[in-house]
Amino acid sequence: MLVKINSATHIGLETVPVCVEVDVASQGFPGFTIVGLASKAIEEARERVKTAIINSGFDFPPKKITVNLAPADLPKDGAAYDLPIAIGVLVASGQLPGVSQDALYYGEVSLDGSLRPTRGILVLALFAKKQQYKALYVPKPSASEATVVSGVSVFPVETLETLAHHIEGTTPIAPIIHRMPTVPEDEKSIDIDLSDIAGQDLAKRALIIAAAGGHNVLMWGPPGTGKTMLARALPGILPPLTADEALEVTRIYSVSGLLPPGTALLSRRPFRAPHHGVSAAGLIGGGSTPQPGEVSLAHLGVLFLDEMPEFSRSVLESLRQPMEDGVVEIVRVMGHVRYPASFTLIAAINPCPCGYLGHPRRECTCTAKQIAKYRHRMSGPILDRIDLTVMVAPVEVEKLAVTDVGEGNRISSQEAKARVMKARAMQEKRFFGMHMYTNSQMRNKEVKSMCRLTKEAEQFLRLAAEKYDFSARSYMRLIKVARTIADLSESEDILQIHMAEALQYKQLS
Amino acid sequence: MRYDCLSDWRAIPSLSGLSDLSNPPKALYYRGTFDPSLFTAVSSVVGSRRMTNYGRVCVERITASLVTHGRTVLSGFMYGVDRAAHESTIALGGKTVAVLGWGIAVPLSPEEEALAERIIDAGGLVVSEWIDQQPTLWTFPVRNRIVAALSHEIIVVEAAVKSGSLITASIGKKLHRKIFAVPGPITSSVSRGTNQLLSSGEASFWVGDQAPRVEKETHPLLLLLQDEGRSVNDIARAVKRPVEEINAELSLLLLSDQVREQGGIFYARKN
Repeated sequence: MLVKINSATHIGLETVPVCVEVDVASQGFPGFTIVGLASKAIEEARERVKTAIINSGFDFPPKKITVNLAPADLPKDGAAYDLPIAIGVLVASGQLPGVSQDALYYGEVSLDGSLRPTRGILVLALFAKKQQYKALYVPKPSASEATVVSGVSVFPVETLETLAHHIEGTTPIAPIIHRMPTVPEDEKSIDIDLSDIAGQDLAKRALIIAAAGGHNVLMWGPPGTGKTMLARALPGILPPLTADEALEVTRIYSVSGLLPPGTALLSRRPFRAPHHGVSAAGLIGGGSTPQPGEVSLAHLGVLFLDEMPEFSRSVLESLRQPMEDGVVEIVRVMGHVRYPASFTLIAAINPCPCGYLGHPRRECTCTAKQIAKYRHRMSGPILDRIDLTVMVAPVEVEKLAVTDVGEGNRISSQEAKARVMKARAMQEKRFFGMHMYTNSQMRNKEVKSMCRLTKEAEQFLRLAAEKYDFSARSYMRLIKVARTIADLSESEDILQIHMAEALQYKQLS
Repeated sequence: MRYDCLSDWRAIPSLSGLSDLSNPPKALYYRGTFDPSLFTAVSSVVGSRRMTNYGRVCVERITASLVTHGRTVLSGFMYGVDRAAHESTIALGGKTVAVLGWGIAVPLSPEEEALAERIIDAGGLVVSEWIDQQPTLWTFPVRNRIVAALSHEIIVVEAAVKSGSLITASIGKKLHRKIFAVPGPITSSVSRGTNQLLSSGEASFWVGDQAPRVEKETHPLLLLLQDEGRSVNDIARAVKRPVEEINAELSLLLLSDQVREQGGIFYARKN
């Protein structure tokens, strides 16, 4: 008897339907074959399914069993077909009544018949809703991902046996309860609070400007000065994720299998800090079935590159497309995949290879040549996209500040976030209907039309350009940063003080 | 590259210092416009290649004082103190002479060439006793005897115990030149040589411009930065104002050349 069970596969963030056809023939030698461009993980489904069926108290039919995964020309990977194959075998061998064509089955089966957490449930549920499927059978540990999707009954399946009882109608499984996608704004959404960091007022100010205008930041200073801690504080002062944004971030984590079991929606902005040994595929995404890379996992959050010159040059160069377009496109055998990757970059560098150039007490042991070489390793095109450069002072000096209660010392992430959101509101008004959200996204055209400088500011800018020999690009960068500083003080015009402050964050020469 | 030769330096009175040497150079090759008056009052500023921030501040103060007294600043063109001395002198509008540790016709790196050209444009000279001698270990100490002989006083800023600057100082001592040294922290290896020169009595303490200068500085930031360099965080704490305001004010002071910045530390500029 031939049975068709509906399932699906993910290509990047896209989902395509897969029909699992199972035939248990009454003639022919006993055997179990899977066809349809199946990967090794699917080939091995034969052993898992066979053992799971027997361990769940059913009979595995000693007949010729053929499984076809249609469409036949689409390469398929992953263990999510275990459940549809097992159900197909049970139905086709007459041990279960027929199943509805309005349902999707998806999940990995363990040898004892229970279902294991499977990645991509959220994306699957969104697909099921769009394609108007009525029911979705997924492993119980991952089912909570689907709670935010309405209009589809999602059944959390614990074991093959409970699912069998459900299909027979003896003990039905209760579908999970739908919840509106809201993002709880709680204390836990802040990893490191600005007020936890002693001193470093300058760096904190730079972070607030970065958060307000969506600017990328370069921090430089000797090792152990708290660059990492400062970077970790940035997600906490960015505006909270909207429900749509939270869904977008959660989708990426869902297909990467990085959602902790029991999570519905991610409410924190992501913070990713890949090690400098990361490969280009690890950073921007890749693999034979393309997986999201660090840039996509940092989508709508913060990507922190510590010791940026230590990253290989080709890896850094691969950041250009996502930094420019906010998406990455990966082309592999499996197909052409687009992942969103719009993030704030924080890069940290030491002043020289040994790290102690300009340190108040320690001597630098590097030669001029080594320092030049170290600085040269930073990719120019990436530096061009960094608007703010800030020095992070050695911690020995800053420690003194703990006893001293300066103004900037007391600012908490909550207060900073409130200021950032005010500045963002001004930008929202300015860029209404332009598909632009922050000052950092302005191109030259917008800079010219939307950044009104007072006469004094203009004069100051000219003087500065002459003194520091600015390129056209640094000139524009300075105006963009000044625009954000003006937004933070809720000023429509860019005043001289805004321009003067912006000059302090210019690139190292 | 265009260079000229001065084979009869003995005929020029201001170069007579060279004849104090037991092995004076046969000839001098130079780039730039030769003016005998360049050598009538010469102070050399020499020191370590591994200059610290302290060293830079000292060099700038010393050269400022030398330039106001109309002296020529002589040094050895190496990176670190030497180059800082050349650069600071040019920036202050003074004249400076660089004595190379290699031949005059040896090609320079682009950044060295740029400095050489600025020295020449400012009315200074680039000098060597060789034409195409490559730099090697022995050429630098040999060059140092010319630095010592051409100068009337030698000011050592940051030198390690075994260093070319100490060689220059000891040659200078034998030639009866006036030797000054700038004291440094006893914890710094690049100040050990200068401190040793002072403690052994070979060098006099350099205390800068002796004439007391009465300045009426009113700007609070300039007052604060007068005696030591500070970072933005530091300044903000000292005057109890937010960094954003300090940043803006510092930019204005930078553009009007009243302060300068080095590695995130701000210093008041001495006039």
